[in-house]
Amino acid sequence: MTFLRGVLVFVGVMFLQWWWNTHLSYWGITPQFLFTLGILVASRRGPVAAMLIAWTWGLYADALRADLFGANALLYTLAAYIAGNVRRQMDLRAVGPLATAVFILSVVYALAMGLIGTIFAKSFFWIGWPAFLVAPFLNAFVAACGALAWEIWGNG
Amino acid sequence: MQRESRIAHYVVGVLTTGSLVLLSLPLSSPVRSFKACVSYVLDPISYQGERGIQKMADMPSRVRELLSADIENRRLQDELRRLAWLKADVESLGLENVRLRGFLGLKTPSGRHPTWAHVMQRDPQRWYGSVAIDAGTDRAVSLNDPVLGRKGDSVVAIGRVIEVRPRMSTVMLLTDSRSAAAAYLSSGTIDGLVQGQDGPHLRMNYVNSEAKIVGDDSVYTSPTSVTFPPDVLIGRVLQVNPRDPILAMQSIEISPALDAASLQEVLILRAHTMPGEAPTTAASTPKAAPKPDPEDEP
Repeated sequence: MTFLRGVLVFVGVMFLQWWWNTHLSYWGITPQFLFTLGILVASRRGPVAAMLIAWTWGLYADALRADLFGANALLYTLAAYIAGNVRRQMDLRAVGPLATAVFILSVVYALAMGLIGTIFAKSFFWIGWPAFLVAPFLNAFVAACGALAWEIWGNG
Repeated sequence: MQRESRIAHYVVGVLTTGSLVLLSLPLSSPVRSFKACVSYVLDPISYQGERGIQKMADMPSRVRELLSADIENRRLQDELRRLAWLKADVESLGLENVRLRGFLGLKTPSGRHPTWAHVMQRDPQRWYGSVAIDAGTDRAVSLNDPVLGRKGDSVVAIGRVIEVRPRMSTVMLLTDSRSAAAAYLSSGTIDGLVQGQDGPHLRMNYVNSEAKIVGDDSVYTSPTSVTFPPDVLIGRVLQVNPRDPILAMQSIEISPALDAASLQEVLILRAHTMPGEAPTTAASTPKAAPKPDPEDEP
């Protein structure tokens, strides 16, 4: 992936997340493109680059909300770290294991976000049942699509 | 691999620590500054994205407005062309208004109906003899109808109809040598007979030899004229010819009020009415038509 294309994808994913949140989100159900693609980068490029990218994306997601500034940066970074280390035990290049990992990490993300709310905002931060039940599936689907796109345009 | 794993541990440690600091001290000045900095750097994505989407959302309406403007533009161009025609029409009507205003001063004889016609042909061989006009039996023109011309706001005697066709007629001008009309001089109401000379001038014959003629006197049609209505301008005195010692009369050269070359539009006083046309009433004809005068015939 060339540098220019990387920059375009980096900014484009942030734009896509904002646009989807703003115009296509219903009952709080939105695919977490930043979170999912952070895991995808970790599965392809390793944890270091993925964590740096995911942390920046997390800051962007935090900048769009009023409270818990740094929560998404923390969780995205940890997700990229976990995915980057898990790829040694699992073949995350395959679509199925990648989607499964994204699904599990999405559930963990939702619970961890509630826990962070409990610690730093004195109340469990619950993202809501619709998002909790649907978002992991959407994220797994996005991860599968992203993996296919990476195979086509990302030079594997 | 070990090195990468070690670096990953360091990186996750640093980033996690940074994130925890951001979460722990949300109201501290450095964190607020950092948040402001992040917002300053990353918010343009949302801001510019919103503007871009707004422009794309406005695109259909702008295209529609563009098409509407194009349609409106074409309609207005057609309207402008139509208005240009209308303007020309209004100017034409203005000229006609001037012409008709002059016509209002004409005492139309009873039983005569005015009709305007255009000169459509001149015969170069008989420049002072006759002209063809674009009105014929289709407009109820008949033989010997008087034909007048317009000069300024007044009408001038021109000639009479000598040939009628379905859509055109031939007018014999007063300057034709076969033409003659009873006339009088405005200074002393001296009667005479104005005759054509096949040239640019007329001659008024049979004027009393004792009459004193004023130079530049005007000549009008006489009430005794069988063809023309009375008091219609014919021309002005150009010169008085020397008296004939034998005859007890004199002649005068007359300059026609209207040159045949400048004749473009004529007024025909028709004797016949067109279908559906109301006959003229006595109220609109203050002066009765003169009785036929044998002298008036050529």
